[in-house]
Amino acid sequence: MLVVKVGGAEGVDLGTVCADMAALAAEGQPWVLVHGGSHETNQVAEKLGHPPEFVTSVSGYTSRKTDRRTIEIFEMVYCGKRNKALVERLQALGVNAVGLSGLDGRLLEGPRKKALKVVHPETGKRLVLRDTYTGTVKKVNASLLRLLLDAGYWPVLTPPAISEEHEAINVDGDRAAARVAAALGAETLVILSDVPGVLRDFPREESLVERLPRHRIEEAQERWAQGRMRIKLLGAKEALEGGVARVILGDSRGESPVRAALSGKGTVIE
Amino acid sequence: MASANCPECEGDVALGDDAMQGEIVSCPDCGVELELVSTSPPKLEPAPEEEEDWGE
Repeated sequence: MLVVKVGGAEGVDLGTVCADMAALAAEGQPWVLVHGGSHETNQVAEKLGHPPEFVTSVSGYTSRKTDRRTIEIFEMVYCGKRNKALVERLQALGVNAVGLSGLDGRLLEGPRKKALKVVHPETGKRLVLRDTYTGTVKKVNASLLRLLLDAGYWPVLTPPAISEEHEAINVDGDRAAARVAAALGAETLVILSDVPGVLRDFPREESLVERLPRHRIEEAQERWAQGRMRIKLLGAKEALEGGVARVILGDSRGESPVRAALSGKGTVIE
Repeated sequence: MASANCPECEGDVALGDDAMQGEIVSCPDCGVELELVSTSPPKLEPAPEEEEDWGE
C-alpha cells in the first residue's frame, strides 16, 4: 500500500502527479491519494470578500484562522474544485477514482480545538483564539477505504475532517495522510510539495537532506525546517510511529514526481 | 494601570494599558496562566490547556 499526499501550493502540477498515479494503478500498486488546496482557497476567499488570515501558535507553527465561513470556502475548493479536478484527470487516465472528504463516512475524524493559543502578529502578545474550526485527525475509517480498494476504486481524499461533535474541521493534510498511511498499514508515504525536501540551508535547494534517520527528525525540525516543513516532519514522525516503513518528502515540480520520490529523490526518512 | 484578581489564588494581576481580550497573562503570585476574558471590567479565567497541533 502506498499513500501519496500532494500539496496545494502555487505551481503544483496535478497532471504529472495523476500520470504517475495512473501508471502505478496500471501496475497493480494499490494507493490512496490525499491532496491539499491552500493556494486556491486563498484566492477564492479573497474573491468572496473573506480574505485568508493566518495565525502563529505559541511554539511557532503557522496555520489558517478558520471560522465557519472559512470552512465553507475551504470545502468549496478542497472538496469541490480541487478534489473533482483530480478525479476528472484520473478518470481520463483510466483510473476509477472516487473523491471523498474526511466528512464522508467519517473517513477522517478527530477532536476540534475550540481554543488555540496564538501569538498576536503585531504586539507579540499571547492570545486565546476561540470559535475556530480546526483539529487533528485521530481516527481513520480504514474499512471504508479497504471496501473501495477491494472493489477496484481508487480513493482521492481531502480535508476537512469531521469532529466528534460532527462539525467539519480544518486539519493538516500532511498529518491526515500520515494517519491514513498508518491505518492502512502502508509501506510508504510520499509527501510532495513545492520544495525538494528538507533543506539544511533554506531556500538553497542544493542543501537537500537526502537521508534522515527517524531518530533525527526532531533535530531536523529544530535546526533546518522552515514554515510548513516542520509540520511535514511531524507527519513523517507520526507515520513512522504508526508503522509506516518509509516516508519520502519529495518535490512535486518534476516530470514524474511520484516516481522520482519512490526512487529515493527527496528526503527519505526511515 | 488596571488589574484583576487571579481566580486561583485571589492574587492581584496587573494588566497593561493595552491589554486585549483573549490575552494570556501569568499570575505573579501562583504562576498560573490566565486568559483575560473581558477588559471592562477586567476579568481573568484560567487559560485553556490546549495541545498545539494545527489545521492546514
